Amino acid sequence: MSARDSILARIRQNRPQASALPDIHAVPFIRYDKQFEAFATLIRNLGGDAVQLQDGQSVASIVAERWPDAGRTVDLTVAGHEEVDDPHAWHDVDVAIVPGQLAVAENATVWVSHPDNQFRSIYFLTQKLVLVVPRASMVDTMRDAYARIQMAEHGFGAFISGSSRTADIEQSLVMGAHGAMAALVIFI
Amino acid sequence: MKDDSVKHPQAAAEFLKDRAQAKWHDSAIWWVRQKRDAQAKQLPEWEELRRLAREIKAHTLSRLDEYLAEFEANAQKNGVTVHWAADADEHNRIVHGILAARQVKKLVKSKSMLTEECGLNPYLEQRGIEVVDTDLGERIVQLRHEAPSHIVMPAIHLKKEQISELFHKELGTEAGNNDPTYLTHAARANLREHFLTADAGLTGVNFAIAETGGVVVCTNEGNADLGTSLPPIHIASMGLEKIIPKLEHLGVFTRLLARSAIGSPVTTYTSHFHQARPGGEMHIVIVDNGRSEILGNEDFYQSLRCIRCGACMNTCPVYRRSSGFSYSYIIPGPIGSTLGPSRDMKKHGSMAFACSTCGSCSNVCPVKINLHEQLVLHRKKAFDQNLLPASKKMGLLAMRFLTQHPALFDLGGKVMRKVVPIIPESLTRHSAWSRAGRDLPPMPAQSFKELYQQRNQDKKDKEGKQ
Repeated sequence: MSARDSILARIRQNRPQASALPDIHAVPFIRYDKQFEAFATLIRNLGGDAVQLQDGQSVASIVAERWPDAGRTVDLTVAGHEEVDDPHAWHDVDVAIVPGQLAVAENATVWVSHPDNQFRSIYFLTQKLVLVVPRASMVDTMRDAYARIQMAEHGFGAFISGSSRTADIEQSLVMGAHGAMAALVIFI
Repeated sequence: MKDDSVKHPQAAAEFLKDRAQAKWHDSAIWWVRQKRDAQAKQLPEWEELRRLAREIKAHTLSRLDEYLAEFEANAQKNGVTVHWAADADEHNRIVHGILAARQVKKLVKSKSMLTEECGLNPYLEQRGIEVVDTDLGERIVQLRHEAPSHIVMPAIHLKKEQISELFHKELGTEAGNNDPTYLTHAARANLREHFLTADAGLTGVNFAIAETGGVVVCTNEGNADLGTSLPPIHIASMGLEKIIPKLEHLGVFTRLLARSAIGSPVTTYTSHFHQARPGGEMHIVIVDNGRSEILGNEDFYQSLRCIRCGACMNTCPVYRRSSGFSYSYIIPGPIGSTLGPSRDMKKHGSMAFACSTCGSCSNVCPVKINLHEQLVLHRKKAFDQNLLPASKKMGLLAMRFLTQHPALFDLGGKVMRKVVPIIPESLTRHSAWSRAGRDLPPMPAQSFKELYQQRNQDKKDKEGKQ
């Protein structure tokens, strides 16, 4: 018998007593009256920032104002954006501007899964990550988020909250572990 | 590799010799427990979330064979190759086979307790493959040739001075620069080179979704993402209990995991992998290694609900005061103390006694495993299998005799209360109560039973007067 079949046979034989699957939608979860405020307050503790696009501003102008000396900048939110033929080619990106489909108020995450992006490495190699999210695409909790997401990018999708971080040295929180050193969410 | 021959009482005594370090370890980990509480209190539905998580896992385990088959079929539909490993050795052979066939020289790994359990690193290194652990804490312990001392905070047993010294030697950082930011960014620069030059990446799995055939990996550092988005090969190793039925169930588990683990509302990256990056290939290795046996044990199968958050060790008064290296099994703390003895009672039996039965672990567990009850049951097994040291066994037998003879018990207490205070100090100096930091407790004048009787009598007298 193959390992697969013998493992499955042993599991079948050792099944614990039957137990019903609960309805996770039957329980009321927390609601936020001011979703943007909840999101923005939280992300500032997670090595990120959140702003709402104002009249007369553009995503590019906000980014330029925040990081006037930015190096290589790639904007995946525009049609016909730059493409590379090897995921390593994004290694020197300084600022990546990427579309986020959904934001979650309870934990300041943004869902990223871009149908037109070839190599996901850009999200993690970039030094600064800018996530551009439609204002109306905010939900309260992860339960609402999972009801709306799709894996649109080569079978990949991620919730990203703030910048990469670690506390592995004496529990001291340090921003910029392996991924982005800074994160900015712009609601448009 | 972990020293699996340690016995908890002796190893803990060794750890406690450095009082300052032990105190720091205790308070640093307690702080994480407090952060967990603060997060839990912000959600009115917290207890309901725990209940849902428990029920989803209980249901999944009751039909685990069906969900595993569904997961496999859906992963294959996505173009992922699924492998099955009955034990640690088969897991290692499968992983090595994938890497060897593609001439992989360097593998970057993100955190995976399963590969620690299987001893994958030494297996691959003996066969000429360079293995780079990329989680900062794991990298630190790898460079020190140690095992992780905590499943979420692998290097929590170390002070920044020790890490600074290590990085000075291994990465060429400035001698004496102990700044965590400086040290972290030095490791970042060094590991970036490894990410960019690796031939393959291996990750653990937090959740495997039967409905979609994908796996979810949660990290704060982004190492799992860099390790899988750059090299052309992604191998995900998972214990077979990682399955959840539907994508929507992540709406429960992602709300519990980071809050329970580190007191943060979520990890920086919650990544869903259903296919390799373009031009690459993805493999999933489903590992049994004793799990299906535990599933068949009525007393202990609940331990397979575990999502490896580490909350039980953060709250455990024994873990905090003895550190992960005092436990013989690769997973320490309360959950390790049930998994270890389930796997090998002879080797890991002492872990079941590293417990005050306070029950705090069961109270913080996000999937409501009856941890402390399982440890008591393991103790019984250890006793029945005659695995206790003679002194402990004699003590337990004497206690059993006493508790079965209440009059003798009362008399014994009376004698103790009278005799202990007049014993000369020279006779008690070598008892357990006289170790550093402990004092022989003052003997009360009355036993609890006498106090209780007195209190009831007083109450009655008072009522009689009214």
